[in-house]
Amino acid sequence: MHIVKQLMAIPGVIAAGEFAYRGDRFSYEGALTAEFARMASILCRSNTMSVNMQSEIFDSFAENCGCRPVQGWIVRGGQATVCNIGNYFAFIENRPELLNDVMTIMRAKVGDIGDDLLVSLYARIGGDVKEALY
Amino acid sequence: MNLDQLMDLPGALAAFSYTDKGDLKDHRVREGSEITAQVLDLLAHSCVANMAVATLEARGWESLTGQKGFEPLQGFSIVGLEWSAVVNGKCGVVMKNRDVNYEAAFNAIQACEAA
Repeated sequence: MHIVKQLMAIPGVIAAGEFAYRGDRFSYEGALTAEFARMASILCRSNTMSVNMQSEIFDSFAENCGCRPVQGWIVRGGQATVCNIGNYFAFIENRPELLNDVMTIMRAKVGDIGDDLLVSLYARIGGDVKEALY
Repeated sequence: MNLDQLMDLPGALAAFSYTDKGDLKDHRVREGSEITAQVLDLLAHSCVANMAVATLEARGWESLTGQKGFEPLQGFSIVGLEWSAVVNGKCGVVMKNRDVNYEAAFNAIQACEAA
């Protein structure tokens, strides 16, 4: 089953979606309008790029410290949480054990994110991005 | 909840506290871990930045969409390849991904802030 559909089958998941690392496409299911899903995709892609940049800095100080490549991030709100693994995101309610369940499923289904993520994220900058980054 | 108690969380590799500007105040690191005080200091700075950005996004999102429930933020987590860091405004804990319990960690750092 597709990851987004699998996430949406869990009670308490408000919405889930997928965005292209290039930033030009997205898809989603759940309680979002298309415009809000577009905004959520931009927000998630931007945060993913930011934490990956930060992990590059950590790694430059302590190589192989275990952070890089970043797999995702979580923002925990008062009653809702946003989870992002790779190019998938989920908006969930704060219910007991739901965050752990969603993160377990996302990590298992999306798989380990590789070093090529940054190249994909920066692809629109142009030029030899791979050489510039590595 | 103090740093020693945060180190009792499943898979905890490090626990740390930091100032409003992100400077490391105190820390504990599990023996044998690759994590250094320098990495924790950088992590603390990034946590302050990420919490600020997440607050901006949560406030903007609630205002634009009318959806509520994000503010006040309880914390932020960065999920690395081998470990995850869970932080709020003052404390953080780094845990091995294979043992991590995110909900327990978010609850623990909330208690740490209240201490």
